[in-house]
Formats: sequence, C-alpha cells, structure tokens
Amino acid sequence: MTDALDASDPRTLPGFFDALAEGELLGGVCADCGEVLLPPRPACYACGSRAVDVEPQSPNGRVFSYTAVHTPPPAFAGDAPYTIAVVELADGGRLLGRLTADYADVAIGDSVELTVREPTPQEQQVALDYEADWPVHVFEPR
Amino acid sequence: MPEPVIASVGASPLGRTDLPGRDLFSVALAEAFDGLPNPADLVEAVYVGNQSESYEHQIMHGTLLAEWAGLRHVPAERVEGCAAAGALALRHAVKDVRNGEHDAVLACGVEKMTSAGTSGATDALSAAFDRAIEQRSGVTAPSQYALLAQRYLHETDATERDLAKIAVKNHENAAHNPRAQFPKEIDVATVLESDAVAPPLKLYDCAPVGDGAAAVLVTTAELAASLDRPQVRVAGSGASANNIAVAERNMTEIAGARIAAETAYEEAGIDAEAVDIAEVHDAFTVCEALLAEAAGFAPTGTGYQSYENPAERTDGWTDVQLSPSGGLKARGHPIGATGLLQALEAYEQLTGAAGDRAVEGAETALLLNEGGVADAVTVGHVLTTAEVS
Repeated sequence: MTDALDASDPRTLPGFFDALAEGELLGGVCADCGEVLLPPRPACYACGSRAVDVEPQSPNGRVFSYTAVHTPPPAFAGDAPYTIAVVELADGGRLLGRLTADYADVAIGDSVELTVREPTPQEQQVALDYEADWPVHVFEPR
Repeated sequence: MPEPVIASVGASPLGRTDLPGRDLFSVALAEAFDGLPNPADLVEAVYVGNQSESYEHQIMHGTLLAEWAGLRHVPAERVEGCAAAGALALRHAVKDVRNGEHDAVLACGVEKMTSAGTSGATDALSAAFDRAIEQRSGVTAPSQYALLAQRYLHETDATERDLAKIAVKNHENAAHNPRAQFPKEIDVATVLESDAVAPPLKLYDCAPVGDGAAAVLVTTAELAASLDRPQVRVAGSGASANNIAVAERNMTEIAGARIAAETAYEEAGIDAEAVDIAEVHDAFTVCEALLAEAAGFAPTGTGYQSYENPAERTDGWTDVQLSPSGGLKARGHPIGATGLLQALEAYEQLTGAAGDRAVEGAETALLLNEGGVADAVTVGHVLTTAEVS
C-alpha cells in the first residue's frame, strides 16, 4: 500500500481537477498492466494492482461514439440539444465529455482535442460545495 | 441446502397512478398474499428494491414497508443498485433461504417515478452515473444508451429499423399482458418517426417513466408445498459489477451481463440453449440486442434479430423468446420494481398463468436486470418449473 492520499494527490478528484485547471490532463497508468485510468485512482480496475503511476495524457483523440441530448437534466435545460462523445485519447484512455459540434457534423473517428474552461455561473449554482471551482473539460473538433 | 422457490407474486398497476409508493406496495402485497396467511405469520425478512429518495423524499423503505405489511422486529432493508435494485432484493432473499437462515423472505420493489415529472425522473436517474465526469457533462440515461447504440450500429449489420422492430415486438407482447403500462401494438413507422431523444435513439426506443410496485415471496420448497401454492425453482443466481463510467467499458460486449448469466446457468446446471424465455433489461431497444448476445442466445453482432421468430434468425441463435411480458419497453419500468416484475412474468409463464401470451412449453427462464448504464451492475436469475429435471 502507498502512503495515505490527500487532496493534493492526483489520484483524488481535487488533485486531478487542480491539475486540469492548469491545463494538464493527468491519467493513472497501471505499473503492472499499463491500463490508463481517467481520472487517476488508487487501484487498477483491469488487474487490481495498486501500483498506479500518474502521467500527463495527450489531449488529442478520436470520437469513439457520440450522441446528442434532447431531453436534458434540469441543470442543463438551456443548453439542449448538445453533443456528447466518448473519446479515445492518443495515450489509450477513454473519456466522456461534451463536444462543441452539431450532432449532424460528427462521425466516429473524427479528430478532437480536449480543452478546459472554468465552470459557468449556472454550473456553479448546481455544483456541490467542493466541486464549485472544478474546471469543465470540453472536446473541440480539430 | 434448502431449495429456494418463488411461492407467490403480486404487482400494483403500472404507469401514471394516483398512489404514493407505500400504497403501491400495499396493492402488490395484497395480490401476493391473496389466499395465504398474513405476512406476519410467514415472512421472516424483507428486502426492498428502490432507486431514489428524490421521488418521495423517503429512505428507510425496509422499515416502512415491513411496517405497512404488518411486520415488526424482522430484519428489513432497502437495496440500491439503480434499476437492478429489484433483482438484488430477489437475490438476497434467495440466498437467505438457500443458506437456511430463513424459510420465507419477501423481496419487493417500489418506485414512484411520476412525482416530479419527466425532468425530475431524468435528474434522479442521472445520479446513477459517475458524478465527477459524466454527470457534470450533462449526460442522461437515453444519451448513455445512445452511445452504446451508435457503436452497435457502427460495428454490426443492425439498423435503426432493426431496433424499431424490437420495440414493435415488445409492444405486440404487451398487448396480451393485462399488467402492461402500454398494452397496445405500434408499427415501425411510429418508432422511426418519433421524436429524437438521443440519436440514434428515439422516443419509442425508450422504456417509459412510470410508477409501480411488485412483491415476490421466496420460500423453501417445503413451505411453498404446505401453502399449496404453485412454485417455481430459483435454480441459479449471479451478479456482477463493472465500471460506473461507460467510457471505460467495452460498449458492445456487455461483460457483466455475460458473467451474471453464466454464473446463474452454472448454478442451475444448464447452458444458454436450455432457456425457453428470457426477460432482459430492455430499458432501450439496443439493450435487448446486446443482452441477447451477452446471455449466449445469439452470435456476436446478431442480437438485434430478437424480434424475429426463431426459425428466421441467423444460424447460432437459440430458440429463446425474449421479453414475453412486453419488456421494460411496454410492460413498464418502475425502476426499483423492475427486476421483480421480470420474476413475476417468469412465475406466471412457468406456472401456466400467462394467459394468451403464454410461451408454449416454457420450462426455463433467464432474468437479466441491470442498473446504472448497461452492466454497471447486472443480476441474473434462472427460474425453472418445479417439474423440470
């Protein structure tokens, strides 16, 4: 077992989002099997190892799947319809997020780039106290 | 080891009802105990499947429903696993009887989904997704499954029309089910022309929001016989959790469902070919296709043919009939009760109580109940007639 985690460790959510706010996407990389864990966490789901290194991940990737939300949760009612994608990143991890493109203009395999922005006042309003300053990641077409 | 059986079942009306959750439960319980001694004279423990406190601002469903059943001082608890909560409750009851801890356990489920409208249900269901990444991106249940459907259509020969035909087939089944929320037939054009919810999924690809409760009495075979009830054996039970975030899973090979089904088959001493009917978690049409493959009924990439008669399906398919109740799509999907409604359908099919929707000669049923998105958690049960060898 490793040392006790604290909120500065990227294997906790505050640590991950602090780095993301600086523009750095950190992933956990399993020292035993190589699985990429986004966000980083203390244990590898692929093999069970707790030897997880933290490494910067490429923001570039390709659309693995996508859809558009026409019936949003109340917190995002004003945004609909908006496009959601699962993106396979260049370093092997997969991450879900908003994609700033019309659904009709997207195809599986499209190149996209992860960008980071501050939460909007509306997003902060529905955030939990500890989430209020966490940045939001958004994929943009390349 | 005692053999667990289902000795009785009951359900409330499904859909938009004027009853709160506890009262829906009372209706389901009254049907299940019609002609039986009072619950207080039989039931030794209670498990309640329930998704969310946000519908009625109520937790403590074990305590509450035990009380409403006239039980006091029995172990009672709410079981949570989003839409798999009902089958998790059933699994706990089955294990208690199998372990010899109790002779009679009540597995029940309840959800009052219509209390806050569609947006309230959308919000409550989104709590099943990873908070940090998925919820903050604004993803919804239909859009999560749309991500699976988009991949499935990309990787296989299936089309949106095939998915629509699954909905048509399940509505056709529901038309013969007096319990169904939507007991009416629809046509392919109705599905294809319905509003976009999360493309490629449309309104008629999606199971409805609705209220409902179900109660299933699990006992030893001896107790069921002494009560003079038709009984159905619970021959196998399996469960598996997978990652909460859909991006981290194989989106077209539903590994958790395969493991849950295979574990249940192994306990029952059968293989997929032996299954006559299956109630699978068709919360969205694509789920029936994916789960037909995961359960071993269909070769990879051909599960979408579930709407075809067995003779018309591609080689390698079994003769199983899927979702004879009408499935979640048309029978209804009151989240915490759904897994028990699946068990109710199998009980009626295997005891000759399914009326004109009866699948002839059905002796073995598979139930697959899922929570979260796809196999975030899956519970599988094999039920068989008491006579089957």
